[in-house]
Parts: sequence; structure tokens; C-alpha cells
Amino acid sequence: MFAYYLRLAWLSIRQSYGLSLLMVLAIGLGIGAAMTTVTVNYLMSANPIPTKSEQLFYVQLDNWDPHEPANDNGDPPDQLTYRDSSALWAANKAFRQVVLAQMGAVVEPEGKDSLPFQVAGRANSADFFAMFDVPFLYGSGWDRTADESMQQVVVLSQSLNERLFGGRDSVGEKVKLAGDYFQVVGVIAHWQPMPRFYDVTTGAFNEAEELFIPFSLLSQPKISRNGNTNCWKPSGEGYEAFLNSECVWTQFWAELRNEQEKQDYLTFLNAYVAEQKKLGRFERPVNNRLSDVMQWMENQQVVTQDASLMMVLSLMFLLVCLLNTIGLLLAKFLSKAPQIGLRQALGASRQDLFTQYLTEAGCIGIAGGLLGLVFAWLGLQGVQMFYGDEMKGLAELDLAMVGLAMLLALVSSLLAGLYPTWRACTVQPSQQLKSQ
Amino acid sequence: MLLMKQLGKVFHTGEVSTHALREVDLEVQEGDFVSVTGPSGSGKTTFLNIAGLLEVASSGMFLLDGENVNQQSDSQRSKMRNQKIGFIFQSFNLIPELNLFDNVDVPLRYRGFDAKERKRRIEQQLELVGLASRMKHLPSQLSGGQQQRVAIARALATSPRFLLADEPTGNLDSQMAQSVMALLEDINRQGTTIIMVTHDHGLAQRAKRQILIKDGRVSELTAAMHETHHHEPLHIVSPSATEHSAKVAGV
Repeated sequence: MFAYYLRLAWLSIRQSYGLSLLMVLAIGLGIGAAMTTVTVNYLMSANPIPTKSEQLFYVQLDNWDPHEPANDNGDPPDQLTYRDSSALWAANKAFRQVVLAQMGAVVEPEGKDSLPFQVAGRANSADFFAMFDVPFLYGSGWDRTADESMQQVVVLSQSLNERLFGGRDSVGEKVKLAGDYFQVVGVIAHWQPMPRFYDVTTGAFNEAEELFIPFSLLSQPKISRNGNTNCWKPSGEGYEAFLNSECVWTQFWAELRNEQEKQDYLTFLNAYVAEQKKLGRFERPVNNRLSDVMQWMENQQVVTQDASLMMVLSLMFLLVCLLNTIGLLLAKFLSKAPQIGLRQALGASRQDLFTQYLTEAGCIGIAGGLLGLVFAWLGLQGVQMFYGDEMKGLAELDLAMVGLAMLLALVSSLLAGLYPTWRACTVQPSQQLKSQ
Repeated sequence: MLLMKQLGKVFHTGEVSTHALREVDLEVQEGDFVSVTGPSGSGKTTFLNIAGLLEVASSGMFLLDGENVNQQSDSQRSKMRNQKIGFIFQSFNLIPELNLFDNVDVPLRYRGFDAKERKRRIEQQLELVGLASRMKHLPSQLSGGQQQRVAIARALATSPRFLLADEPTGNLDSQMAQSVMALLEDINRQGTTIIMVTHDHGLAQRAKRQILIKDGRVSELTAAMHETHHHEPLHIVSPSATEHSAKVAGV
């Protein structure tokens, strides 16, 4: 019987194609606008590491100016000083811990014709790869001793390995970086957490880095660190003074597998700060924070308020489109009252008629959903064009979003069809048959 | 087969109540061909709608095949309509976007027959009304008489025991009207009970029984009145006026 209803729906849509097209267009526009903003929000607010996001904690300590908080809301600074993060790493109190910072370097490829080029990199300690489930194509990361002994090892991204070694297994090869040779210990398979949660201070939606070196190498000024640096008092002269200053520019993550480990780590942090207070540092009240991945994303407002507002507006637009569709469906279905009366006379129950007309509404919804996908794709292209690289990777429809769009279109059209269908099915058949 | 006792129908519009039918007593036996005549607005169509379960009586009792239809739910009445009653309308009421095959198919779909059985019945009925060669035509491609034949085929497709016809020849010229009437007589001869509302006294007299509805009241015209009908105006015989009428009315 459902196939019969589908056929009747097709005949009805074809018969009043102008009205049907208007409805498909209304739903399509609404779905397109909604899906454009929902997709951006969905990708912005996605959990980038769902298997362990509740076990990874971003560490904040409040070393800031005693007379003025680092943030208006009283939060501690977003990053740690080099000396604090190095000390926490050296204490090695968590199940895993990683200290990291952004860096840049000039790579000098082998070969006479090859020109040096600049790549974005990351200086991090050994646990980075295991903590963040980084997939490897070849080799692996380095171990803690490599950090401690400042070994010149490097992990390459798949694309940089492609560029330098044609994609072959380059483990054991040398890469000339910042004038020194680094040994390749691993090549990462394609990896792009979205958002790039491990360092949102340099852009939550930037691409993952091209190469990774031990964090301890940043103690040498020849490795060019970059990223955000904030100081509340002068750092002093020279690189050594900068490393020992109160300037914050490093990030620190701890992997804590349960509540007990988290409490223990917080106790350790409090003890560390208390110790530092004795040395004249950390003059503000104790304000140590451990935020898991999603808490940290929320704290950093990875989903911007603008994006949320746009999503609300676009959902309201969808509502307006649906109200229009209700009006059009009402006009269409009520014009079919004589036919409804006839079908009742010929034995159709109200349930039969309800199913028939809701099937038609559903078909219009699915057509609107398909059109909406085209509009959403165009909308996302527009977002990419307008915002450029910042939105790259965020403005893409994935399978879940396509499914959601179709589901939204179907449910919306069925909801929009409920009232017109109910009105149409409550007509008195005798009146309709007489009026024909 | 069809029994109405003290049946009444009142329509309420605001504070105005209109009595469309009053104290109707009627019994129709299997194989009857009953014509229903009466002036416009007398309640003929209301009578037919109640007989066809399209409307519910306000008072009285209505038994169809022994079942009290006044107490049935909407879906039970739909099922009963589909199984026992066929409708023929003055304006044919074919669905314009469906071809003849699909129009005849409509009641069969609701009956739940399989595709093979539906096809057999559709072809058989269209053959019966002489339109088997035009199955794929749309209603708009047919004359009025042909459209009414399709409507008859549709009404008969589910093999109903009752055929209710509301002015089946009202939109046809006299030649086509005669042809449709002959078809209805043929169908009645094969055992289908027919109740036909008509304004045409000539056609009404071809039925086995004639009833007159005036001011919502039903009366049966006797055979004697048929004789005088050509010479004098119609007389109304109330159900209680003669023994014959009382018997017919089942009182």
C-alpha cells in the first residue's frame, strides 16, 4: 500500500507542480540555511578525542599580576610559563603528561635544486603521541630519555614526508632543520583533530603541524618558537631570562585516568604553587585548574557566540519556511477535499487518508531536503570563501550532516503536513461529494 | 437487508435546526431496485448518504445486514462501505489524474486485494461497461456517458450487494441516460440491490419499487398510483395509510 501512496504522491505533485515546487523551495531554503550553520557549529563543538576526552586535563596555574587578574572573569592565564611547565613535566606525577609549544623552522631538503622552506612545527614532550592517540604511518614517537637528553629527533607529518622523501619509510633518515640534522623517528598518518584541541591558543581550527621535535630543544634559542606569549611584567634581558620569566607561552596537559588521580594531581599542583609562593611567586590566591577537553573547549569559546547566534537565526528561518509550507500544504490538501470525500465513500478510512497525505508531505520534504543539501553546500562554499583558511575543514558536509539534513527535512515536512492533513481528513464526505 | 425505523436526521446551523429526514420507516429486500424521487431539498441525498453510511442518523435505528450502523465507529463504517456498498454519483466523481484502470482500482486497494485479483476485477468490470480498450485513458478523454460507465465499473468492482446511485443520469443526454439505465437494470437482474435517486419520473418508473421523499418524510408509491401517475399529480401515501405500505415499511 505504501508504494501506492508514493505513486499517488508523485501524481499529485506532478499535477500541481507549481505549488509543489514552491513548497520544495521553501523547505530547501530553510534546510540549506539551517544546515550551513548547524554544520559549522557541529564541527566546532565536536569532541576531537571522544575515547579519552574526560581523562585529558589542561593545566592552568595563576602566576599573574597580584593587582590584576589575567582574565576579566577571574580565570588563570590560558598558558603556563616555561619554568612551571618544565617543572611539572620533570615532576612526572601524572599517568602521562605533555608540555608543548608552537615553533617554526626552516627545513633544508637534500639536493641541489631543492630550496629551503618554512614549516609550522610543534615542540612537545614524548607523551604527546600516546596521550593524543596520534596514528603513525612509520616508526613512532620518541621516549622520555630523548627529551631529557635533548636528542635531535623529529616526527614528520605524512605530507612533509611526502615532500621530503616521496612518501617512503624515512625512519632513520636525517632532516636538516634550523641548521642541524635531526633524525626521523616516525611519520604520522593523516591526523587532523577538529578542533585542534591540544593548542587552541594558536587557533582551534588550524591544521596540525608538519613536524614535531622534543620540547627540551626550545631551551636553545636557535629553535624559533612562536605562538602567543603574554607577560605581566618585563621578562628581562636575554633568552635565559625569558625562559625564567613570568611570561606564559607553553601548554601543559596531564592524562589522569580516574577521579582519584585527578584529585591527587590537583593536590600536587597546590603543593607546587605553595612551594613557589615561598619563593615569592604566585602572589594571587591559589587558583589552579584542571579542565578536561570539552571543558577547555567551552572555556576557550571554541564555538563562537556569533556562530551560535547564526544557528539560532537560521533555525528560526527554517521555522518561517515551514510555516509557509504549512500554508501551501493546507491550500493544496483542502483543494483535494472532494477527492478525499470520494475516497472515503469508496472505503478509505481516515487512517488510510492520513497516511496517503502524510506520504505526499514526506515526499515534498525529501525533495526539499535534497535541494537543501545543495543550498547547504553552496552556503558552506560561501563561508569558506568569506572566512578563508580559518574555516577550512569546518565548512564541509559529512555523512552525519547529510543524514541530519534529510531527517530534519522529513520530520519538518511531516510536522508541517500534520495540520493540513488533519483538516483535509475531517471533511464530511457527503458534503464534498455533493459539492463536486 | 436494509431496515430503517423511525430514522431522523437534523442539521444544526447556529441556532437553526433543519429536519432533513423525519420518522423514516423503510425496508429494502435483497434484489430490490428502488427509485427515490422528490422535489429538490426534500431530503433525497441525505437519505442516500445515510443509507451509504456517509452520514449518521440523528435518531432512530438503521440496520444494514442486521448490523446497527449507528453504533459503528468511523473505520468500521469505512470497512462496511467498502465491502457492501457501491456508489454512483451524478457528476461521476472520477479522479482526474488517474486513468480508468487506476480509477476502478481505488476501492479495490482499500479492500486489500492482491495485484492479480485487482487486475482481474478491473478488466472484468471495464469489459462489462464496454470500456476495456480504454483502460489507459484519462477521464477527461471520455464522454459523459463513458465516464458514468467507468463510475459504474468502479462501484461494481468490489462486488457490492448495494448500489447507491445519486442522479446517475442527471448529467447525461437522454440517449446516454437510457443506456446507463439499461446497464443498471442489467446489474439488478444479476442480483445487486439498487437504490437510485432520480428526478426523471420515466426512469423512476422502471424501478421495481418507487418511494417518494417530501419534507423529509418517505412514502411508497403504490402500483395503483403508477397507473394514475400519467394523468394526475403524484399523491403521497403515508406509511401508515395502507396495509401494503405498512408492510413495506416493516412496521
